[in-house]
Amino acid sequence: MSSELNQTVVRVSNVKRIYQMGSVEVHALRGIDLSIARGEFVSIMGPSGCGKSTLMHIIGCLDRPSFGHVHLDEVDIDELDDNSLAEIRNKKVGFVFQTFNLLPKLNAVENVELPLIYAGKGFDQRREKAAELLTIVGLKERMDHKPSELSGGQSQRVAIARALANNPSIILADEPTGNLDSKSGEEIIHLFKELNKKGITLIIVTHDEEIASHSQRIIRLKDGLIVADEPVK
Amino acid sequence: MINLVDPLKIASNSIVANRTRSFLTMLGVIIGVAAVITLVSMGEGAKSYILSQVGSWGVGSNSITVQPGQENSHTIELNLTYEDAQALRQKVGNLQYLMTEFIGRGRVNYGQKEYKPGYTLGVSADYPYAYKQKAIEGRFFSTAEDAGRKRVTVIGKTVARNIFGEFSPIGENIKINGTGFKVIGLLEEKGSLLTFDMDDMVLIPSTLSELVLRTNKIWEMFITVYDEKQVPEAIKEIKNILTTRHRKEDFHIHTQQGIIDIVNNILNAMTGIVSAIAAISLLVGGIGIMNIMLVAVTERTREIGIRKAIGAKQRDIFLQFVAESILITMSGAVIGIIIGTLAATGIMFALKLQAVIAWGAVYLACLVAFLVGTFFGVYPAMRAARLDPVEALRFEV
Repeated sequence: MSSELNQTVVRVSNVKRIYQMGSVEVHALRGIDLSIARGEFVSIMGPSGCGKSTLMHIIGCLDRPSFGHVHLDEVDIDELDDNSLAEIRNKKVGFVFQTFNLLPKLNAVENVELPLIYAGKGFDQRREKAAELLTIVGLKERMDHKPSELSGGQSQRVAIARALANNPSIILADEPTGNLDSKSGEEIIHLFKELNKKGITLIIVTHDEEIASHSQRIIRLKDGLIVADEPVK
Repeated sequence: MINLVDPLKIASNSIVANRTRSFLTMLGVIIGVAAVITLVSMGEGAKSYILSQVGSWGVGSNSITVQPGQENSHTIELNLTYEDAQALRQKVGNLQYLMTEFIGRGRVNYGQKEYKPGYTLGVSADYPYAYKQKAIEGRFFSTAEDAGRKRVTVIGKTVARNIFGEFSPIGENIKINGTGFKVIGLLEEKGSLLTFDMDDMVLIPSTLSELVLRTNKIWEMFITVYDEKQVPEAIKEIKNILTTRHRKEDFHIHTQQGIIDIVNNILNAMTGIVSAIAAISLLVGGIGIMNIMLVAVTERTREIGIRKAIGAKQRDIFLQFVAESILITMSGAVIGIIIGTLAATGIMFALKLQAVIAWGAVYLACLVAFLVGTFFGVYPAMRAARLDPVEALRFEV
């Protein structure tokens, strides 16, 4: 286990991301270097527009850097085409969003099944796995509820179960408690900590110091650069 | 192996979720397909009815009809004679039956009763074989009786019912236009061809036509040969013999196949017009579907973003939207086929006819609907598949 713990899951080397907004170039990331080891629980913090969401999208293979390299599980994602990136997002990355991003017409178990569908799993296998994950996040009794019938906290639990569906290498959470009341937010953080204890690598983007204090390491961004990267005391 | 079950399931869920819109989108396809199926099924029904009538009245494709006067001339000069018929009888090779038909007005008297049948015909003894209409009671007159000018008659059911009611007419003596005849046969029932009651008929030997019907000019000659392959040769011979005798071609010749060809031509023209209308309807419907699919892609941009974030490939998104478009057109086609079949059956039932389900049109409708769905679904589906996941996730409706 210990050797695995020290393994690097994410390595970001001199990553720049430049958007073209009309005639203006926006430098969202100006040269980011960081690496995250397996089993870490990292917070990325910074004011709005500092590039933290962009960084998360790039680590999660939703976006590509304009310059530099990103290695996920020692694979350079620059060399992959869009379909291979989709496969990595499916198998190695689990996203948790501020607005949950569940599909409103599907019930909880069907939402959790989605990544398993795209992984090509058969119906019985994915239904079983989805039920198991919903049990882990404490929603065993709510499996056939639609998102509109669930509270914010419950919706976010469904989203977390969905993120875990294909046993990903990392979970990326973008302001996961941003739309929740403080009690539900605490429960979600508690769930994250439990998952991290089971060995899941966790990256949370937040601007809430309280949330970040639960992690092991805080990376602070400002204007597209890392201004601090230190362990939590 | 591409998994098609899940895209189809996703697509059908989305169609059911947007029931009203899906139905309205399908409407163009439904109307187009229903129109084609209705009219083609009615046309097929009409065709099989006409052909069965023609077929049961005359015989099959081995028959030839010779009528006096030039084709399409407004005045008919009755110029075919008994002698012409005799000449054909002797000289046409492969001749099976030759039935001459003289037509006139008849008045039938039986005791105090008087009846005017629809048709009073002088015919030769070949009649039951040529027209495949036997005597169900009694018998038909023979060639000898025809040649010997025997005063015998065979009558149709309508005539028998009107004069004799429920009693058998066989052996009774009647007067036709004042001449005494003995009824020797009752014709098998034929029903009506279009509006003509084919049982309202009195048949007498052709040789008595001049005496009774005051005509010695043939109305029609009905000729059969042994095999349909001999028809063209026989037509040539008939033309030669009659043209030689008349010194001009003052008659015209029809074949059973000719009648069938005319029926087919009319129905094919009708089918063609309906298909053209349906094609336009499907085209407009298809454009409507593309339009709605483009709206759906925009509306569901966020859904597409979410699906991509959790691992949907371009192909998955593409298949989802194409499947939706094809499902819409195929459902439209199925609904259209059901409506069209019911409408055709209903209308034909009201007309006391039978619709024939045009399976060819059914298969074609399904195929065309599939192609329309694919064609008009591809562009929106490609737009959906190519959406940038980050921008799609940021999209707010």
